[in-house]
Amino acid sequence: MKKFLALLLASLMLFALVACDNQKTTAPQDDANTADADAPADAADSEQAAEPAEGEATEITLWTYPIGAWKDSATVDGFIAKFNELHPEIKVKVEYLDYQSGDDQVTAAIEAGTTPDIIMEGPERLVSNWGAKGKLVDLKDLWTEEALADISATSQAVVDACKWSDGAYYEYPLCMTTHVMAINKELFEAADAMQYIDEESRTWTTENFEKALKALDEHGVENKLIVYCGGQGGDQGHRALAANLYGAKFANPEHTAWTMNSPEGVKGLQQLVDWDKAGLIGHDAGIVASDELQLFANGTVAMSICWNASNEANYASQVTFTPYPVAFPTDQEKPELAGGIWGFGVFNNGDEAKIAAAKKFISFVADDPAQGPESVRATGFFPVRNSFGNVYAGTEDEERMSVYSTFMPYIGDYYNVTPGWAEQRTAWWNMLQKIFSGEDVQSAADTYVQEATVE
Amino acid sequence: MLPKAALKRSRALRRRETITAYLFLLPSLFFFLAFVIVPMGIALVTSFFNHTMESFEFVGLANYKELFSDPVFLRSLKNTALIVLVAVPTVTAFSLWVASAIYELAAGLRSFFRIIFYLPVVTGTVAVTVVWKWMFNQYYGFFNYGLKSLGLIEKNISWLGDERYAIWCIILILFTTSIGQPIVLYVAALGNVDKSLIEAAEVDGANRRQVFWKIKWPSIMPTTLYILVITTINSFQCFALIQLLTSGGPNNSTSTVMYYIYYQVFRLYRYGYANAMGIILAIIIALFSALQFKLTKSGKAA
Repeated sequence: MKKFLALLLASLMLFALVACDNQKTTAPQDDANTADADAPADAADSEQAAEPAEGEATEITLWTYPIGAWKDSATVDGFIAKFNELHPEIKVKVEYLDYQSGDDQVTAAIEAGTTPDIIMEGPERLVSNWGAKGKLVDLKDLWTEEALADISATSQAVVDACKWSDGAYYEYPLCMTTHVMAINKELFEAADAMQYIDEESRTWTTENFEKALKALDEHGVENKLIVYCGGQGGDQGHRALAANLYGAKFANPEHTAWTMNSPEGVKGLQQLVDWDKAGLIGHDAGIVASDELQLFANGTVAMSICWNASNEANYASQVTFTPYPVAFPTDQEKPELAGGIWGFGVFNNGDEAKIAAAKKFISFVADDPAQGPESVRATGFFPVRNSFGNVYAGTEDEERMSVYSTFMPYIGDYYNVTPGWAEQRTAWWNMLQKIFSGEDVQSAADTYVQEATVE
Repeated sequence: MLPKAALKRSRALRRRETITAYLFLLPSLFFFLAFVIVPMGIALVTSFFNHTMESFEFVGLANYKELFSDPVFLRSLKNTALIVLVAVPTVTAFSLWVASAIYELAAGLRSFFRIIFYLPVVTGTVAVTVVWKWMFNQYYGFFNYGLKSLGLIEKNISWLGDERYAIWCIILILFTTSIGQPIVLYVAALGNVDKSLIEAAEVDGANRRQVFWKIKWPSIMPTTLYILVITTINSFQCFALIQLLTSGGPNNSTSTVMYYIYYQVFRLYRYGYANAMGIILAIIIALFSALQFKLTKSGKAA
């Protein structure tokens, strides 16, 4: 009898589990059709799905990484309110991600089938990761001839970065920037090291950079520059530093292979190791970029290699010196700075009405002549649309942003869309840890390229 | 011999009790099945597949073969073993020592110590790691400041960034966050040891050491077993500290199996491969727990 009861209960539970599973599978339909009375019919049920009937509202969700003021609900809610003046039929819900756990949340959502409709980030995630894996919608209809001409007039690299090898546009860009270094100007002046920087172009040579390090050292500055390598956060800083020193390319022009094991790349990495051994720079596998920025902001370290316009605004209230932005040192004619591009992607949730609504929202925040510049200003970066002109003209940020605009001509190849980006990021900081621990630079760089390469 | 009617009544009563017992068990059983057994089954099945965000292809034992030639997995396994082998005995021994020292104190004082030791357990892991990260900081951290002030070191040490120290820093933090529960359990267990047995032993001339090893230790054996098992499992599953403090570095010197599983899932989307690791970890934990049961002869003690 006991056995029979146990069997019966176990069967009941299995049945309950199966029932739960079925419920889960059908949940999205329920959400669209019944849970929200205002929601439109499912695309599969109606050919009119993309255009909801009058009076019906479409609810879409936006997930945004912390890109300038796009992390602040007050700012984003303001944009949504303006959007709703034009499109009251579309409700936009927002969730704010952080870089620490944001990727994990998206991965979990993809596997659970609970992805948002819109996601805001860069091509390395949207195009070469989720887009390439078939999770995003092709946004070719947003890339009109006018948009294409306007954006490519700013930078063809931006257009290329938003397009995957299959020709689909998985990102519609909003803004861009260049990542630079920053120095503690007063400290450099005290160490008589400003003479090594071309103040007009804000550039310096590798040779002069070394002289500046020595000048700071002689002045008694203990922490001049730290190659943080405790994780992948802010890795664009040491990538740009190592690559620029002797003109190495991080990936090939076709974006099919990682190339920092080239003679120029290895020379740059070896130089970092040599400076570290000589006490001219430091390395720390216990910190990441955010720690380094904090150390720079509180004056502990003389330079930051993870600076940009947005960081200057973020740390403005903390610094008691002049953070002076400067390009990465190079022995080439001009530096090649790592670019940052941010924009929107649309997850393919199988609901045409939501996809259409998501595109309307993106078009409003990125293309609208009045809203577009405002959306860009909120990021603290520069517009990808040439027609927007100087979006900071007449604002309190005009002077600061004009400094950063001088770096835009140095923007380099957007290699972040090379396959194996995720593998490359981890292999890169692991490689840095190895070379600073004494491993042969060439063999460590070869291993890094091997680990970063995906079939 | 019971009459037929009485026998029938007795059976009916027993059946009703059994049903009631099963009904009480039902919610726990449901959650156990839904959140433990079923996911374990799924993990076992998918460990034989090349399951990624894009594909689901049967590969047989390929994931398991790859595991044992993956240097990072082997390093992670070694680190995990080190954490378990150091943390479990030290946590157990220290907890027993503290509990022995405080369980006979006045109630107020005993509660005070229990709160002190339990505080890191109830404090959020993120908050705990932020404080430890500050203390370990190379540039303004408490440890470097203290050791430099005492003249014990000349140059600041990157505690979490140096292969020689990083894993020990993790073990230290794990130790402080793991001792709370064992201390509370030991205090309760020691307080419940039959006092008549202790008094009888003392009357018979047993000294304090003999009383402890001959009377108290066997009496708290089930608690010891429980502590050993939960500390072992917690140590095997050490993840949050690694993720928040070192990301497995430097040079994978703090990478654990749990962290490497996370890395394979959330960074490389290799779900099948990660599940194979999970299965191996589950087998190891099960073997360790069985060994602990055997060594502590828990069956008899319990």
